[in-house]
Amino acid sequence: MKKKILLFPFLVFVLVLSIFFYLLLIERNPSKIPSNLINKSFPVFEAESLITNKKVVSSDIFENKIILINFFATWCKPCRDEHDFIMQLSNKKNLKIFGINYKDNSKKTQVWLEDLGNPYSDVLIDKNGKIAIDWGVYGIPETFIVNSKGIIKYRHTGPITKKIYKKIYALIEEAN
Amino acid sequence: MKNKKKLLVIISFFFVVFFLNFSFAVEPDEILENKKQELRARNISKNIRCMVCQNQSIDESNAPLAKDMRILIREKIQDGKSDKEIYKFLSDRYGDFILLNPPIKLKTLALWLLPFVFFLIGIYIIFNQNKKFKKS
Repeated sequence: MKKKILLFPFLVFVLVLSIFFYLLLIERNPSKIPSNLINKSFPVFEAESLITNKKVVSSDIFENKIILINFFATWCKPCRDEHDFIMQLSNKKNLKIFGINYKDNSKKTQVWLEDLGNPYSDVLIDKNGKIAIDWGVYGIPETFIVNSKGIIKYRHTGPITKKIYKKIYALIEEAN
Repeated sequence: MKNKKKLLVIISFFFVVFFLNFSFAVEPDEILENKKQELRARNISKNIRCMVCQNQSIDESNAPLAKDMRILIREKIQDGKSDKEIYKFLSDRYGDFILLNPPIKLKTLALWLLPFVFFLIGIYIIFNQNKKFKKS
């Protein structure tokens, strides 16, 4: 009887330990918060365009194409790091990339885009961070993929690395 | 003896500092003139997690995103939105994680019920041991 009682906590201990090991081994970052907007339609918002200086309504930019939304700012170093990958993605047909310039200086952004290249079809200004809150953004850079039906399919927090670039590339191919 | 007194003073100082945690981050330019509305905003802010620092409410956090959210909450209150609508607006965008009090849902049931289950198991074990002890 006593042996049986001791066996039970031991088994529980092994179970808990194996769960911890499993969580350690799988690829996951606990500080990353999953987006609540996946499989939902994109938020409706209005913003001024940095390029045309005109007002843009979000429904105008979604025209049956796959869309990549990238929140960026010139003051954000990781945004600069991922810029090359976004440039590469801009060569892709059937994909439109929109930049959302988060709490930034418009003049600096224009210079930045001239220096590094402009991968965006349009850049929308988010002066006070309200558009970012609408998209559930909590730290830039953040990148979203919206399918041709206007449904958000993917969100990545942090800079696009080679690995993430491949993932995004595959997702766009899949959506096509 | 002197050292003991000193130690006591130091310990009580930390004790007071630890329990008098009145810190909040609301800046003067954010505060609404209507006191009732301001109180509502403060109450909501205390229940909203700062997504950047994650273990602070936006009421206590100095992160820029927390400030944006505090301003947004005040704007929504001024627009006549109810507390429920404001909580929903934020949790629709950031998920239930943004609420410092997780709602009771099928997904969070274990979170709410397990403490009671463990409590009952604990009581059962204590009673059982007591019985055995008395018998012996």
